[in-house]
Amino acid sequence: MSHNVKILPGATVCEDCTLEGDITIGSGTVIHPRVTIIAEGGPIVIAEYCIIEEYSTIIHKKSDNQENPPKPLFIGAHNVFEVGCKVESIFGHIGEYNVFECRCFVGPDVKISSGCVVGASCKLSAPQTLVDNTVIWGSDHNIREALEKQPSQLLQLDFLSKVMPNYHRLRKPNGHKRQPSRQSTEAGK
Amino acid sequence: MELQDTYYNKSEYVETASGNKVSRQTVLCGSQNIVLHGKVIVQSDAIIRGDLANVKTGRFCIISKGSVLRPPFKKFSKGVAFFPLQMGDHVFVGENTVVNAAVVGSYVYIGKNVVIGRRCVLKDCCMIEDNSVLPAETVVPSFARYSGSPARLITTLPEATPDLMTEFTKSYYQHFLPTASV
Repeated sequence: MSHNVKILPGATVCEDCTLEGDITIGSGTVIHPRVTIIAEGGPIVIAEYCIIEEYSTIIHKKSDNQENPPKPLFIGAHNVFEVGCKVESIFGHIGEYNVFECRCFVGPDVKISSGCVVGASCKLSAPQTLVDNTVIWGSDHNIREALEKQPSQLLQLDFLSKVMPNYHRLRKPNGHKRQPSRQSTEAGK
Repeated sequence: MELQDTYYNKSEYVETASGNKVSRQTVLCGSQNIVLHGKVIVQSDAIIRGDLANVKTGRFCIISKGSVLRPPFKKFSKGVAFFPLQMGDHVFVGENTVVNAAVVGSYVYIGKNVVIGRRCVLKDCCMIEDNSVLPAETVVPSFARYSGSPARLITTLPEATPDLMTEFTKSYYQHFLPTASV
């Protein structure tokens, strides 16, 4: 397995976390200690301004009918992965502004759009698609639609990226400016 | 009923002068902001986030394996702040529990796999059952027993709860022994 972790300038990544495989971490993203990100089924690309908290696990699983070359898992901007959440995805895309609350589990066959909230301790394992702004909460897995997208956590990110370097050993950014293709698509959004 | 002895590997734990027993396998971030008031047990793989804000615990607290104590976060009209996390005496926190509370009183029992939401206030002598989820900003009154997801009041606790919790945490501490002394 290749260990090709690319950290773009401006990202805050603690040293005490497990990063395996081909992973790209966008600028402004904060990764807390004890996070596990495993890219065994293909590369993982984490966009800008995500928060990934302690004990959360993101796995890009190997699947049987895998394309060659493997499809990357793209995690959009402004996602929040709270303490102890577990996301196993084989679909190539997780949208933006999602919140995965504490200790939730999102199985491999769940497709997630944008602005969704998976409540604390909720377990989603059946194949399903969460449309934009879905909110799931409680032990009965109640579902409703949020009126608007989740607010971004830019202020919290600002605070974290200021405070964390004082207390943690961080991994050094080693990526250079991204390939122009993605930058131009993002400018077009 | 007497609690059974729990043994730990002596080389794995650090014992401080005030009787705190802290595993080496924990993540204590910003340890200058963490105050453990004595006879506190912090078991392996627990995380205490002192880097975000101050964390204070009382005496005879038990922080079990894999639990996370994390000061809560609040957004204001201008700027953000992490609130300090205060914990009283004789508090038990079960395994793999996430505590985002602002205040946890004394004689509180929190089960395992519990999620305590942001800025919750747990008053003295309350109990949160295993696998519960306490939504953000919940206030749990004294002598209440909460359960479920989202957690609701199910019953009340007996008046002797402070004594029972004192007894429980003290005997847990006394029965938490290094393997070398067997």
